[in-house]
Parts: sequence; C-alpha cells; structure tokens
Amino acid sequence: METNKPILDGIDPEIMDRLVSRREAIRKGAAASTMLTWGLSLGSVPVALAALSKDVFGQAPADILDALQFAFILENLENEFYKTVLTTTNPQSALFTTVRTAILANANLLAALQQIQTHEQQHVNFLKNTAIPLFGGTAPTITANDFDFTGGNGTGTGPFAAAGTNVDFLLLATQAFEDTGVRAYKGQAGRFLLATNTRNADVALEAALRIHSVEARHAAKIRRVRKARNTGDTALRFSGYVRGTGAAAAGTAGLTGVPAEVTAALNLIYGGASPEGNTSHIVFNDVANAQATIDAATMSGWTDGGTGETQAEAARMAFDEPLTKQEVIDIVKGFIKDDATRGLP
Amino acid sequence: MSKRDRDREEPMIIASADELLRPATRRKFVRMLGVGGAIVMLPSVFTACDDDDDDITGNQSPPPPPTVTSVTFDLRTDVGIFRLVHALEIVERTFYTAVVTRSNFTTLFDADAQEVLRDIRNVETIHEAFLRNALGTLALPDFSAQLNQTTLATALASRESILTTARMLESNGVAGLNGAGKYIKDARNLLVAGKVASVEARHLAALRDLQPPAGVTANVAFASNETIDANGMDIKLEAGDVLARVKAANVIAEPLNSAITIGNAPDATTQGQPTDNFFPANP
Repeated sequence: METNKPILDGIDPEIMDRLVSRREAIRKGAAASTMLTWGLSLGSVPVALAALSKDVFGQAPADILDALQFAFILENLENEFYKTVLTTTNPQSALFTTVRTAILANANLLAALQQIQTHEQQHVNFLKNTAIPLFGGTAPTITANDFDFTGGNGTGTGPFAAAGTNVDFLLLATQAFEDTGVRAYKGQAGRFLLATNTRNADVALEAALRIHSVEARHAAKIRRVRKARNTGDTALRFSGYVRGTGAAAAGTAGLTGVPAEVTAALNLIYGGASPEGNTSHIVFNDVANAQATIDAATMSGWTDGGTGETQAEAARMAFDEPLTKQEVIDIVKGFIKDDATRGLP
Repeated sequence: MSKRDRDREEPMIIASADELLRPATRRKFVRMLGVGGAIVMLPSVFTACDDDDDDITGNQSPPPPPTVTSVTFDLRTDVGIFRLVHALEIVERTFYTAVVTRSNFTTLFDADAQEVLRDIRNVETIHEAFLRNALGTLALPDFSAQLNQTTLATALASRESILTTARMLESNGVAGLNGAGKYIKDARNLLVAGKVASVEARHLAALRDLQPPAGVTANVAFASNETIDANGMDIKLEAGDVLARVKAANVIAEPLNSAITIGNAPDATTQGQPTDNFFPANP
C-alpha cells in the first residue's frame, strides 16, 4: 500500500482546479453538512476534499455542459476520421486512398471500421441533438474541414501521414484515437457529479459511461485486429487490454519508421499524470469515512492460477486510467485546426 | 458407545485435508480417535499442502472459508454498490480460474482464446482482490466454495458453454457498472468504477469476437447492433436486474442463492433514480 504518495495526487485534477480555499468555500455558502464542517475543523483534508468535491459542483451544470462540448469535439474528430478513411467525399479522403483500397479488399476489417464509424456518428448526433441542449447549450458547427488527420494542424503533412498509405499505421492511429477517447471520458466523468442530484445530471453521467464503454469495445477490437496481424508483438493482447505504459503500451513492434512525433504522441496517449501503468487507486469508504490508496501491484489476494502472469502486469491491465482535459487537448490539438471561437484547440 | 457398535463401524477414510475441516467430518474423526476406531489417511492428505494445489474453486489448499448463509446489499452507499460489484467479481474470478486450470484448456482453445481467457482470469483476480482490500471489514465473505457445482460443471463442459457463460457474466458486469455509476456519490469511487468498467467492456468485446451470440455477424460482434442502442450507447441494467439475472443463472448454490438480496435500493434524492434498462435477449 502506498504510504508516501500525497493524497492530493489521486484527486482528479479537474476537481483540484476548481477547489477554493476553505474560508472561501464556506463564504460561498457551501452546504454546512456535518461531514464538511467536521472535516474542516479537524483539518482532515481528505474528508474535506471529498465533501467539497460534491459542493464545488453545486453550480455545475456549466461543468457538465463543458464536458459535453468537449466530448462533442472528440466524437467529431473520430467520426470524420473514419469517414475520411472509408469514403471518398471528405476533404482529406484523397490522402487515404491507398489505405482505403486495402481496407475495401478486407471485408472483415471494413465491416468492423464501418460499425465503429456508425457509433461515432450516433455519438455526435446524441451530443448535438440531445445532451448539449439538455444543459442549455448549442453544439458548435463542426465539419471534416476542421480536422487534419495527418496530425499536422492543417498542413496535411503531419507525423501521422503514413496512416493514409499503410494499413498497420492506420490501425495504430485508430487504436490511438479509441484509447484516447476511453481515457478522456473517464477523466471527465467526475464533472457530472452534482451535490444535489438532478435527473439531468444522472442521465448525462450514465450516457457518458455508456458511450465510454462502447469506445472501450472499439479499442479492444482494434487491438485484437492488430495483434492478429502481428502475433509477435507482446505489447498487444488478444484480450484487448492495454498492457504496460507509455508508448510501449501502444504496441508498435510491427511498424517501421515510426516518426519521433508519433512516439511522442503515444507517450502522451498512454502516459500522463495517471499513466496507463498506474496501479495505485484511491477509494473512499463512505461508511467508515476513510480514504485509502491501494496498490493493486502489491496488495494481498493475488494468485496467478498457473498462468505465470505477474501481479504487477495483471494490475496494470486491470485498470484503464483517466486523462485530464488538458492532457487530451495536448494529444488531439495537432489533429484539429485552431478556432478559439468554437472552442477548437 | 458399546463394543458391538465399535466393531461394526467401518474405518474412516480421509482423502484430503479439506475433509478434516468440515465440521461433520471433524466430529467423526475426533470420535473415532476417542473410541479407538480405525482412521485411514490417504496419501493425498499430505500432498494437499502443495502451494500449487488449487481445487476447482481456485482456492489454495488452506481451509475453506466458513459457510455464508446470507448476503444483503445496501445500495444507499458507495460501499454497498462496491459490495455488489465484489460479489460478481468473486463469481467471475472463480469461474475463469476453473476455466484456465482445466486439464483440456489448451485443447479446447487456440492461442488467441487462451490469451483472452487467461488475461480475463488474471484481471478478475486483481479486481476481486482490490475490492476485498478496499472494502476491508465490509468486504463480502468469500462464497466461492458455495457456487453451484452442477451449474459450474455444465458451464465448463465445452468451448461453447465456457464462452457463452463468460459472455453472460461479462454482459451483466458491464451493464451493471454502467447502471450503477450514476448512484455513486464520491468522485474517487466513480473514477475507480470507471477504470474497471472500460476493462470489462474490453474483454466483453473480445469474448464476443471469439464467439458471437447466435445470429450475430462475426465481424461486428464486438459491438453489434442489438447490444448498442440508437444513440451508440452500451448496455445497462439496474442493480436489481443484474442480481436477478445472476440468481436466475443458478451459479450460486442454494440456500445462499435465495438469500442474496438487496436490502435497500439507491436513495432517489441523494443518489438518483432508475433509468430504462438496455440489454440484449441473447448476451
């Protein structure tokens, strides 16, 4: 069990950004619940933090709306990516002609990618027509023109350009998008918690969770496809799990000439403040009113069942990790042409 | 005890250390010692101390846990929600351990499926241990020795039955986590639940890829149309429905199966209200 890791490390940075000083929190009229005042009076930071987490979000439909708008950008990014690859009518479709020809000749792969794109379109529609309006917002107009799938921020010659000509590189990019999507939703989920539970917040949180698990299915499928194409890549698992951390978790053994910028992007995608290799997780026991950090790599109760797996490796696979909003922005901004007026990073 | 009774009593044969730990056996053992009856200890009793000796429940040879008579879930707290998740993880860990330790495991499954099932087994073991550690004294007792052996044997009988059972368990797990998330009150716990949920979804996709449900096209089975709704959203079930399905599957032996209940549903004001379920007919 971790003893030296600062407790605050484990709190979602989104929450940390919004926390105010204790005095200010009370001045703002934060609910004087027993737990909060007790926690503050005793200087019990973890308890106070937990209670504040709920209270800070008390005025947080704006938080939820921001999370939904952010998700909307990411879903469009994914949707237009697949449309660019699979159809001839997107602005950058021509850059992907070679890889599209190969995909069209591979019925199983084509069907899988089309299924994924169908879901991304559904996500775009749901966010635009249902979720964002539910919180009083209007989704910005986003089109394929807003994206550069070579990762060149509009140049069309970015470090991911090989995705247009090489199927294995295309699949790496696909996996990267899907795994990023999983981690992005996971990092945003906490923003849907409200102090006073409203039906809308519940519905939004549940929708986010249910979209998040679909993205995980996508990611697992792509990893399986990639593993089948390169069974010797031990970083890839037929189970679809993320194994390891950083760029090594991407599984690039089957590729040659991977640009340094791509490796750097993969390090971001599978790294971050809470990297994919993280095995320490914080739980809050609301019955015992106590927080604990448990390191799944060293905790009791592990047996390998004769599989020969190590506890540490299993612990890394057993949990996917979040990315903060800023971490996601740093990953995807090269694929999005800047436009601050519409919130495009 | 009369001399005549003692003469009539058959020697007591002990075949495994586990037998000595069952109360009825223990009483007879002690009684036999007391009246000078014959006790035969088969060699297997002494080999039971081997570290690698896992029985069908995946437990190592130390004593089986005490019998669990009932389990109640209070879903008004995050702890209560995690306890329900823990119950499912106990079942899953036990099932998958039985799968990968079968003597014909490498004959039934190719390298792809072996890796999938071993990874799932290891991850569920981590999940179960994590929840046990997290819940501490509030953790569920380990009832893995009380799984229904007939149901388990049927589930383990063939490649098809194993993968079908796995799909069922994982579908319940994914749907349950998706439905329970909205009731969690603490951001730290929501994050942990989310970390587990996407991993469960990954291996559900892998299992469906290995063996699609009947009538589902193989190349889209990972996320096929009957399991993803019109908004592109995944399956979800309320906790009561998850529990009902697990109980209906008879994976847990009676009388415990009937004695597992939800004592309190989530609180509408502080946690939220149920939403419509979405779950395929043939998971």
